[in-house]
Amino acid sequence: MEISRRDFVKLIGGISGSVALGGCALDEVLEIPERIVRRMRTGPGLETWKNTVCGLCPAGCGMSVRLIDSVPVGIKGNGQYPVNQGGLCPLGLNALHLLYHPDRLKGPVRRVGNPGSGKWEPVSWDEALTTIADRLTELRRSGRSREVAVLGNTERGVMEEHLRRFLTSYGSPNYFRFSPEQNDSVPFALVHGRPDIPSFDLLGAGLVLSFGANFLEDGWSPVYYTKLYSRHREQQTRYIQVESRMSMTASNAERWIPVRPGTYGALALGIAYVLIREDLFNERFVRNDTFGFEDWVDTAGTKHIGFRNIVLGNYYPEKVSEITGVPAATILELGRLVGSTPKTVVIGGSGAGDNTNGTFSQMAVQSLNALLGNYDPGGGVFFHGHAPLDRFPDLTLDGPAKAGIRAEPLGGPGKDAYPLTGFSIDRFAKNVAAEEPYPLSVLFLYGGNPLFQALNHQDLSAALKKVPLVVSFDTIINETSEYANLVLPEHTFLENWGEVSDVPTVGFSHLGIRQPVVEALHDTRNAGDVFIELARRIGGAVGSSAPFTDYLGGLKHAVRGLYRSGEGSVVTRGQKTRWLEYLQQRGWQSGRYSSFDEFWDQLLTHGGWWNPVRRDGKAGGKFPTPSGKYEFYSRKLMDELHARADRGGTTDSRGNLESLLSRLDIAARGDNVALPHHEPVPYEGDRPLYLVTFQVLPNRDGVGAALPMMQEMFGYAVHAHWESWVEIHPETAAAAGISSGDWTWVESSVGSVRVRARVTPGIMPDVVAIPFGMGHTSYGRYARGYGVNPNTILRNLHDRLSGKPATGATKIRISRAV
Amino acid sequence: MTEKHLPYEHELDATLYKPIYHTGKGYYLTVAVLLAVIVWALYMFYMQLRTGLGLTGMAQPISWGFYIVNFVFFIGISHAGTLISAILRLSKAEWRRPITRMAEVITAIVLAIGGLHPIIDLGRPDRMLNLLTSGRLQSPLLWDVTSITAYFTASTVYLYVPMIPDIARLRDQGGKMKWLYTFMAWGFTGTERQKHILNRAINILMVMVIPIAVSVHTVISYIFSMTLQPGWHSTIFGPYFVVGAIFSGIAALLIVMIAFRKAFHLEAYLKEIHFKYLSTLMLIMSIIWFYFTFSEYLTGVFGDEPHEMDIIMYKFTGPFAVFFWGMVVCNFVIPMVLLAFKKFKTMTGILVASIAVVTGMWLERLIIVVPSLANPRMDLPMGIYIPTATEWALFAGGIAVFILGFMLFAKMFPLISIWEIEEGRKEGLKEVEERIHSYLPSTPGTT
Amino acid sequence: MAKWTMAIDLDRCTGCGACMVACKTENNVPIVTPEEAHEGRVMNWMEMITEYEGDYPNLSVRRMPKPCFHCDNPPCTRVCPVGATYRNEEGLVAQIYHRCIGCRYCMVACPFTAKVFNWHEPIWMEGADTCYNPDVSRRMVGVVEKCSFCAHRLTKVKEEADGEDRSNNDGEYLPACAEICPADAITFGDLEDRTSAVYGKSRDYRAHRIMEDLGVEPKVYYLSKRT
Ligand SMILES: Nc1nc2c(c(=O)[nH]1)N[C@H]1C(S)=C(S)[C@@H](COP(=O)(O)OP(=O)(O)OC[C@H]3O[C@@H](n4cnc5c(=O)[nH]c(N)nc54)[C@H](O)[C@@H]3O)O[C@H]1N2
Ligand SMILES: Nc1nc2c(c(=O)[nH]1)N[C@H]1C(S)=C(S)[C@@H](COP(=O)(O)OP(=O)(O)OC[C@H]3O[C@@H](n4cnc5c(=O)[nH]c(N)nc54)[C@H](O)[C@@H]3O)O[C@H]1N2
Ligand code: SF4
Ligand code: SF4
Ligand code: SF4
Ligand code: SF4
Ligand code: SF4
Ligand SMILES: [Mo]
Repeated sequence: MEISRRDFVKLIGGISGSVALGGCALDEVLEIPERIVRRMRTGPGLETWKNTVCGLCPAGCGMSVRLIDSVPVGIKGNGQYPVNQGGLCPLGLNALHLLYHPDRLKGPVRRVGNPGSGKWEPVSWDEALTTIADRLTELRRSGRSREVAVLGNTERGVMEEHLRRFLTSYGSPNYFRFSPEQNDSVPFALVHGRPDIPSFDLLGAGLVLSFGANFLEDGWSPVYYTKLYSRHREQQTRYIQVESRMSMTASNAERWIPVRPGTYGALALGIAYVLIREDLFNERFVRNDTFGFEDWVDTAGTKHIGFRNIVLGNYYPEKVSEITGVPAATILELGRLVGSTPKTVVIGGSGAGDNTNGTFSQMAVQSLNALLGNYDPGGGVFFHGHAPLDRFPDLTLDGPAKAGIRAEPLGGPGKDAYPLTGFSIDRFAKNVAAEEPYPLSVLFLYGGNPLFQALNHQDLSAALKKVPLVVSFDTIINETSEYANLVLPEHTFLENWGEVSDVPTVGFSHLGIRQPVVEALHDTRNAGDVFIELARRIGGAVGSSAPFTDYLGGLKHAVRGLYRSGEGSVVTRGQKTRWLEYLQQRGWQSGRYSSFDEFWDQLLTHGGWWNPVRRDGKAGGKFPTPSGKYEFYSRKLMDELHARADRGGTTDSRGNLESLLSRLDIAARGDNVALPHHEPVPYEGDRPLYLVTFQVLPNRDGVGAALPMMQEMFGYAVHAHWESWVEIHPETAAAAGISSGDWTWVESSVGSVRVRARVTPGIMPDVVAIPFGMGHTSYGRYARGYGVNPNTILRNLHDRLSGKPATGATKIRISRAV
Repeated sequence: MTEKHLPYEHELDATLYKPIYHTGKGYYLTVAVLLAVIVWALYMFYMQLRTGLGLTGMAQPISWGFYIVNFVFFIGISHAGTLISAILRLSKAEWRRPITRMAEVITAIVLAIGGLHPIIDLGRPDRMLNLLTSGRLQSPLLWDVTSITAYFTASTVYLYVPMIPDIARLRDQGGKMKWLYTFMAWGFTGTERQKHILNRAINILMVMVIPIAVSVHTVISYIFSMTLQPGWHSTIFGPYFVVGAIFSGIAALLIVMIAFRKAFHLEAYLKEIHFKYLSTLMLIMSIIWFYFTFSEYLTGVFGDEPHEMDIIMYKFTGPFAVFFWGMVVCNFVIPMVLLAFKKFKTMTGILVASIAVVTGMWLERLIIVVPSLANPRMDLPMGIYIPTATEWALFAGGIAVFILGFMLFAKMFPLISIWEIEEGRKEGLKEVEERIHSYLPSTPGTT
Repeated sequence: MAKWTMAIDLDRCTGCGACMVACKTENNVPIVTPEEAHEGRVMNWMEMITEYEGDYPNLSVRRMPKPCFHCDNPPCTRVCPVGATYRNEEGLVAQIYHRCIGCRYCMVACPFTAKVFNWHEPIWMEGADTCYNPDVSRRMVGVVEKCSFCAHRLTKVKEEADGEDRSNNDGEYLPACAEICPADAITFGDLEDRTSAVYGKSRDYRAHRIMEDLGVEPKVYYLSKRT
């Protein structure tokens, strides 16, 4: 072997590194396995870098892991990966601490005590899998295959395919994901006709108006958006943030417009009023490509009122000002600014959408994009193609499977609830707890921590207690897996194979390859492999449904589609905009690899694949809605409601709809129901202040709480460490006799939490805010017992249409704690 | 119990010898209590050595606390002695005779205690020797080390030299610890030549010690004023610190005098007049102190520099207002009221005023050290400084060492310079008369 | 001689805090216990300053990442009694941990509160003690530490450049915080090199240094349209 000069220098650097490592009696202090320590001591000490994809949030940033003698010692962003282009968020940077976390499960365990008792005993993989497989076989034999469910989380792509496939071939309709994506997509599905969350062209925008989308701090891909935002000076982009609390995005915006929680749809319509009244909207687009703007007559000859007249009649600035707390003059000013700035993009955030009226509010926000004609080619809102992955071979279902999947899903929409959702955690918990329409016998919990995250804690824990066999795959036991009977720990993402593709709102299609950067430290397995193994043990048609020997096989199979398509390219340095032009000139064909193996190697080396070309401007020229246009008036919504109302039984279809609406707690009537409108949130009147929650960068939805550095970082901007706080406006604080640093009681009709006050002008006077992600009662030594979980005092309410938890629907009282 | 008659009882100044040969119950009790406090402090210090400064209440940004406060405070007190006695000697104030010794003892003991404070404040006291191997003379901290060492040396010598005749007497008395007295008396027998040399030595030391003393506290003030920190970066800090030091020194001296006057029945030596004179001096220092304080803050407020104002407001109305106004009351209001009016200027009044001044001066040190650190220029969270048990223990320990030191000294040596009193009786009157004459315009015929 | 300088574009910076974590992991900066953290003993070489301006609702917030400014005329080194902190010939202000006696004089002398102190022996909480950077020595109880401008990276870059018989290029020596910043807000380089990116930034009309009137000559420039 020839050693180049550069290698030689690296070698020397590595050796000094390894000496430093060895000199500290590492094995005594650390949890690095003996074999690695040995290699570190004796080996030459070579520094290598491996690319993979972060797994701590759905954004999936590309990361490069620094290894000295195969021991991961550092992480940086993968500069070639187009989503994050070398950047990472605090949480991702700290991922190695998850790898070495002392509370990670070292192998499968079985619970021996009560839930929460923390009493577990180790079991072998074989024993655990036999227990599960036997139970599954038995259930299937007795025709009860529907009694098995998988409650997943943010998994997509190949892992989702594995889980869904397993359950389908086994014979159960109960695969659910308690994930943001599914419920977030409802309003988009209504207006665009496709459930994809669109991407927003911030780079090309002249003005970005965000309604509670805290995209720099959380959102789908904070790092990607930070990259885009950071160029706002060169691009002359202005940012305005509408939000109850001054989030990180608001503080970076040129202007912050405080708005009362639960009313941001009203504000959007107030702006629509100005656009329409002052003729500042895109007439051509509205005329040609939208439905329901003007009054219209249906095939039955019934007259319907259009968006224009609803808005002009109901959302004049004075009235909107009354609802939202935003001065009428500001609404006028905003409307004129939005209407007169070329390329204004409007974004609606799930933060503001997380309310009982979230779907209607999001529809209202999107209607601004429609008014501005942002769906035109080159416009601010767009969709792009998906990475052309190969699908798994078709399934052949046997009799029991066919019967099982016809059962009513346990977490689907109910008669009176959440008509538009594929999954509602509320319904799921209630059904399982009530064993309606059938009991649940086996529950797989994959990822996620609903008992910490959801608002229906009581129902959910009751449900979990009802299930005789709960299996979790968590790497560290969390609140939810405390209820599991078996925990089969998955690898951390640094030890695992995987892929992340087409993260919602990212402006191009892409795929990141996750590869093990280090051999598994403990006796853990990939969850896909576990399901393949289970299928094999069950045997028969279920067994043959698993066409691959392992998860990696499935992954390679899927990726072969990319290779064959010839689209896009493996990510490489220096591709940004010029590359885009180049690709377009070449008709997007750029992948040239002599074999799949070469393509695969390139993927592993560089970290991923992307296709920067925007495919579908206006959703392929046509919106896949019933009208083929952008729907101000959502026919899909109306059809769905009617269908449900008619199932109500009586012949009086109008009366049926009326009663359905009141059962759904929807105040609007008539055409208003299907149009974007302000639907009042049923706040309790006897408490003076609104409570909103927000997520901070170092924590995500609670994952960061397991890591001591992230706990220390939790409130880095306000210098709060290892604790929650409640943000309160100076006036409100003064009235309540509270000053910064005081302990307070924040009390709702559900309960109260004791938390320290932070007096800050960056919040509306009648709103208080508590960060979400702390207050764990489990999840390892660093998470347990620090801070509070605001969800313990939030009312158990959900968006009436999508079933998304309504985290902004609670009012509180605050007082000084003594 | 029949008391053994000791030779000193025939002496004129028997009262001054008595404490050396006679020990009461109260003495042992006090020593026991003090030793307990010191053991406690030593234990806490040991713990601090083992675990680090984390045991204190210091943190970011308040990274200096009690140790530095007490350092400045104790060194300030030390000015009692040498400086006062040197000035009084130099100005030939006859009333000085019974008080110089006590003042000098205070200096020596308190200086030793104060000088240790920077060491207990070190994160790595084990690396102290680095000061010798890699010391940088450009650092004000090293100026301190130098000037405190010099001051300690000079003031112990200055304490010791005038003690020699008294030690010689003790040696001649015989009795306990003769060996020590013999050794320390250095063969002094009271010959004219010896007396001449002694006086020369005292005179030289007296002149030398004054600039050293002034420099010590100036240099201590430089620790602060040489930085750019608001509240510290001030040109008057040098004289301000020196004035404060003398001020607190006088107060400490008064307290000690009152205490030992009572304990050792020294009424015959420490007369009201001494207290009146000294307390008048203290009153003057109080006014000068006020003048400096006023100038310091007035310029600050008038300059209205934002960071400077943050700190001033922190002291005036913020969390340190209690301490600030407490300091003003202790250092100015109380002394003014008690010492400016004859009615209050009693022994009790003087004692109260002195205790107030010592407290006030301690507060002043606290107010100088902490608020500037608590209000960093950058928009960082302001710190709160709450001293811990360790720091209180070491503070109490410091005071205990001081009292114990004083008591042990009093057990071995007369607290009042016997030979100087004698000299005063013998020569003072005549000398003063002559001196007064020399001040006056010559009357015809008397030249 | 090079004059290593950092420029932070506050108009780009979102205040995400990634630089703080990059710095902590790169430089093995200890994590303190929760109790210590509440007492104000968090150790960050890179701090985040949050300033509010204006009145509700016309409020603006500035988030300002703050490393050590590596002052060219550093007040901190001047006061050190043992020379445990000093400015080297390339303008980096360094700490010699094994010489420091822990008097914390440099800490109180720094106008920017850039230094932190090891109040306790760094305990390397279990789980956090595993993956430290072998290029950077760990500190002991009782000494002061601060941002080093990732000087170990300069050493490496120089070694590599020497190995290839060339001088290092602009941007090759990049501290961890500058490398990770998702907003590309941090530029780093040699101010003496007129072609360097950081030189350009320092000449920008938005560029200023914090408290320039103190005359300590910080080598960190902030770029902001608000002054
Ligand atoms: N008040 C309030 N409540 C909220 C929100 C809010 O903003 N405010 N946000 C809501 C939203 S939007 C969401 S999406 C939910 C979030 O809901 P979740 O996605 O459930 O949130 P996490 O706590 O991040 O759950 C991640 C869990 O997965 C486990 N895990 C981590 N890595 C792996 C792995 O590699 N493999 C496996 N198998 N498991 C792993 C960890 O143990 C961790 O407990 O919370 C909701 N709740
Ligand atoms: N770093 C990081 N990234 C994340 C996550 C994370 O926790 N951390 N979570 C991921 C997940 S699962 C999701 S769903 C997304 C969520 O990302 P976002 O959609 O941004 O959701 P939030 O942070 O919950 O809420 C955004 C802001 O809305 C404001 N808000 C709350 N109620 C109202 C209201 O009624 N009206 C208005 N106008 N504003 C309101 C709050 O002040 C909050 O700051 O982020 C994802 N990415
Ligand atoms: S945003 Fe942070 S946590 Fe999410 S993938 Fe990127 S680095 Fe990981
Ligand atoms: S990493 Fe960049 S954007 Fe984030 S806080 Fe630091 S400088 Fe600002
Ligand atoms: S910022 Fe502070 S620590 Fe850094 S060089 Fe300047 S004075 Fe020294
Ligand atoms: S703490 Fe250390 S580096 Fe700082 S001044 Fe003291 S000895 Fe020097
Ligand atoms: S330059 Fe290096 S040491 Fe300094 S703040 Fe950045 S990462 Fe930390
Ligand atoms: Mo979410």
